[in-house]
Amino acid sequence: MPHKPPTTEELERRKIVGIREETITDVTSTDFPGHYPGEDHSWDIERFRQGFRVEFHHNETFEASFSLIGIDASIANAFRRIMIADIPTLAIETVFINNNTSVIQDEVLSHRLGLIPFKGGHDGLHKFIKWYRKPDDQSQLDSSYFDNNTVSLRLEVKCEHNDKAAAGETDPTKLYKHAHVYARDIEFVPVGRQLQYFSGEDAIAPVNPDILIAKLRPGQEISLSMHMHKGVGSDHAKFSPVATASYRLMPVITIERPILGRDAEKFARCFPKGVIGLEKVTRKEAAKKGSGYEGHEGELKAVVRDPMRDTVSRECLRHDEFKGKVKLGRRRDHFIYLVESTGQLQSDEIFLEAVAHLKKRAQFLEKQVMNMVR
Amino acid sequence: MSREQYQIPTGSAGAGGAGSGAMGAGSFNAAAARDYEGGGLMHYMCGDCAVRVPLEKGAPIRCQKCGARVLYKERTKRMVQFEAR
Repeated sequence: MPHKPPTTEELERRKIVGIREETITDVTSTDFPGHYPGEDHSWDIERFRQGFRVEFHHNETFEASFSLIGIDASIANAFRRIMIADIPTLAIETVFINNNTSVIQDEVLSHRLGLIPFKGGHDGLHKFIKWYRKPDDQSQLDSSYFDNNTVSLRLEVKCEHNDKAAAGETDPTKLYKHAHVYARDIEFVPVGRQLQYFSGEDAIAPVNPDILIAKLRPGQEISLSMHMHKGVGSDHAKFSPVATASYRLMPVITIERPILGRDAEKFARCFPKGVIGLEKVTRKEAAKKGSGYEGHEGELKAVVRDPMRDTVSRECLRHDEFKGKVKLGRRRDHFIYLVESTGQLQSDEIFLEAVAHLKKRAQFLEKQVMNMVR
Repeated sequence: MSREQYQIPTGSAGAGGAGSGAMGAGSFNAAAARDYEGGGLMHYMCGDCAVRVPLEKGAPIRCQKCGARVLYKERTKRMVQFEAR
């Protein structure tokens, strides 16, 4: 029997992960060679180019959302993981505590300082600052810090009584000077060429100046200096450039038989706002035989307006009146990313870096494979 | 070396037990004379009123301001290094 090429509907159907009341169907992708007899599903760069699309939904400094359409889950997941764990950023790595008489312990204070995200001049962070490598010989430690691999910071705070405070004042921030230590109290100490890369607007400074580091009482003091190094998220989460980088699959809602009147309103309430719209049945639709709209002209019907906003809660599948009328699913090759930057890099830049990183890794692997074959 | 054998580097060997007030008062002048050596005066924190209390060696362990008998050692002046992890 000669093989019939699949129709476009069939190709669409293959891309959908089915979501039933209590089960998920067709989880794995089937577009690989040998799955469908007589069809060639070998990977082809031209076919990928034609099917691949990128859509940006919103793109701000701290948050970007975009879709990659027509890509395999393995690549999509690689991008996500690279964004979380492999894009280098600058963070506090060592803390030299001269004095800390606050109630917060040295170790805890150091840990808190490490987690503060910092920003700085783009050129300085990307081109000037290089990796810091700890010398194997401990005696060489002092000569391993350079202006292009270490950024120095300082924090000197002392809490005192405020003489100008009103009598009967109970608010510690007014009663004492420097009762709260904030991230903005951290001082950048430029060394050498750092002055030309990190000055004025480009100075190394905390992204969020209002992060509370410690609380002090009169007589207590924190005096310390810090070293920042470049690192990656796989080493420690403080180096991760993202708060979260995640993706979800595009929801698909198919209304197979008309949902009308009060049912339509209830149906819309089963979804987040804006997913389902209500429209009036037109005369043309009502006149069409077998459409299910006969004699319902002017009534409200439910239409799918914006499936991307759906959370796929499956609420509509719980109600008997929608049984057999609606089908839920997700598009297997449509990934909706959400990248939240911590502020050192622009959120879209993190994704671009991830693409460049994957490419670099792939080229490195290619070279290794070539060497292996030779 | 056992505890009994240990000799305090500065000052007379007899002032080893600086706990009692009477003994401390007796060695007061000797301690003041040692002050120029730099090791004689120690600062403590009062456990009650948190004031800085300077104490000679052998002086009664007592806050000059409020009279509390609990004094705390001050934190080390040395730099301590930590990893921010």
